[in-house]
Amino acid sequence: MLLYVLKRLLSTIPVMAVVALFVFSLLYLAPGDPAATIAGDQATPAEIEKIRQNLGLDRAFVVRFVEWASQILHGDLGTSLFANMPVRTMISERLEPTLSLLIVTLFLAILIAVPMGVIAAWKAGTLIDRAIMAFSVFGFSVPVFVTAYLLAYVFALRLDWLPVQGYTPISQGIIPWFANLVLPAVALGCVYIALIARTTRATMLEVLQQDYVRTARAKGLALPGILFIHALKNAAVPIVTVIGLGIALLIGGAVVTESVFAIPGLGRLTVDAILRRDYPVIQGVVLLFSFVFVLVNLAVDLTYTLVDPRIRY
Amino acid sequence: MNAQNFVNPAGTAIAAPLPDVLPAVKSRRGFFGLIRRYPTLAFGAAILLIMVFIAVFAPMLWTVDPTAIATGRRNREPSLLYWFGTDMFGRDLYSRVLYGARVSLIVGFSVALLASAAGLVVGLVSGFVRIADSLIMRIMDGIMSIPPILLAVALMALTRGSMSNVIIAVTIAEIPRVARLVRSVVLSLREQPYVDAAIAAGTRTPKIILTHILPNTLAPLIVQASYICASAMITEAILSFIGAGIPPSTPSWGNIMAEGRALWQVKFYIVLFPAAFLSLTVLAVNLLGDGLRDMLDPRMAKSV
Repeated sequence: MLLYVLKRLLSTIPVMAVVALFVFSLLYLAPGDPAATIAGDQATPAEIEKIRQNLGLDRAFVVRFVEWASQILHGDLGTSLFANMPVRTMISERLEPTLSLLIVTLFLAILIAVPMGVIAAWKAGTLIDRAIMAFSVFGFSVPVFVTAYLLAYVFALRLDWLPVQGYTPISQGIIPWFANLVLPAVALGCVYIALIARTTRATMLEVLQQDYVRTARAKGLALPGILFIHALKNAAVPIVTVIGLGIALLIGGAVVTESVFAIPGLGRLTVDAILRRDYPVIQGVVLLFSFVFVLVNLAVDLTYTLVDPRIRY
Repeated sequence: MNAQNFVNPAGTAIAAPLPDVLPAVKSRRGFFGLIRRYPTLAFGAAILLIMVFIAVFAPMLWTVDPTAIATGRRNREPSLLYWFGTDMFGRDLYSRVLYGARVSLIVGFSVALLASAAGLVVGLVSGFVRIADSLIMRIMDGIMSIPPILLAVALMALTRGSMSNVIIAVTIAEIPRVARLVRSVVLSLREQPYVDAAIAAGTRTPKIILTHILPNTLAPLIVQASYICASAMITEAILSFIGAGIPPSTPSWGNIMAEGRALWQVKFYIVLFPAAFLSLTVLAVNLLGDGLRDMLDPRMAKSV
């Protein structure tokens, strides 16, 4: 097991190296001359050249990449071109809202989607199953900002049940924090719910045909116990896998959701950085999110042994 | 089928109903039989065809110039004169939404085509050239570990917003998925006895690829392409919505919504109409994909 963990950890290194190379090329290829930007409008070509040499911009791609990568490994993500602030500080200031949104969405989605998939599989072919499957097709088709606007319009503007926009830090109380996050989380979670529910249904359909399910039924065990304990446990591996892979959807969707609901998180930071072409910030965010995504999926791989003791490494 | 076919009226021979049954079987084969067997496919295709019609004939469908600014008629509610209302520059939303279909469809179809072609090549190389395989797959893993929307956003930051740049950015983000699919099909086919036989018989690799491998990858590839088309449409809309996609001079459903963003609490229709068209189109493409999967790839259909 320990050997496997080590092997998996090592295998993430080339993946992260590709990500890093891609992200670095982004800055390297970016239009505009950082030296000229820093020097300002009044600078002479000689001055610009001097700044370029000071920054090391005249050196080879590989040299710059290695230097940049070692900076990253030391936790230095560079400095924003506009805010004149370390990217690391900018990211950590915006981390809480995005993290809150992602975690609330994750929990809501799993709590809704897994029972949906289980029920759809149990009632396969009936009206309930079809309704759940129809919902899942809609979940895949309606883009996150459409759901976001519809929910905000109905539940915040028309019914006035929840706040329209904004974010309340968790330090100001759980309830206002949660009230602000419900609508964004549901909007963001729709695709995710559809994905998880579909996978749950498909794997449960297979598991429910197994002999031990019939045996459990025959000896008179209660149905919820069979469905949610015996069967779900055996269907868990594909479900956990898709939960991990779906994180990519959540991260991409968070950028949009935060724009709609005016949540001051990493998504907003990204959008602002794009509009101002603040490449170090874009780099930092892409790097961070990819890192999180890789780590989550590593964690998912390792939980296989927990959910299914038959799997040994 | 008619219930009368089952009763045997006095005086008729037992075999008599047979001619009635045969045409019934035959009718399930043709165009209408296809619709009956794959209703989602038919429904998706029908809506998609309507959208293509709208996109192609947008100038003839009672539209006006979608970029014409008129300060005298700003923010009008939907009415008989302005069917979908007007936006904050007084532009006619009905015309903008109809013209917007062009962007979504062009981006969706182009990305589906380009990503499938590029992914097919990468997947074939990876599946056949074993030395290149691990390197290619590490690169694909790397690209896949960047969330697709973030990847497209980052690529768009390098260039100015235009339709071709959006197509390229979204295509790059979609290639790894196709490459992985093709590679896995190739790897499983290589184990098939008939491919072994072909290799043993001395058939050259290009011919094996062309006659044995390609036809088998086609079905899953077409299904995958339809899903890529749907996801490309959504990504384009998201890019345009956050201001990194199609510039506002060309109306697209995403950038119409972006312009409605400032006013959405009072003028919800500016957001509503492009949102409805976008969702309906993506739904149609997804249904088409599900239908194609059921039709072309019954094994896959059973597992999902």
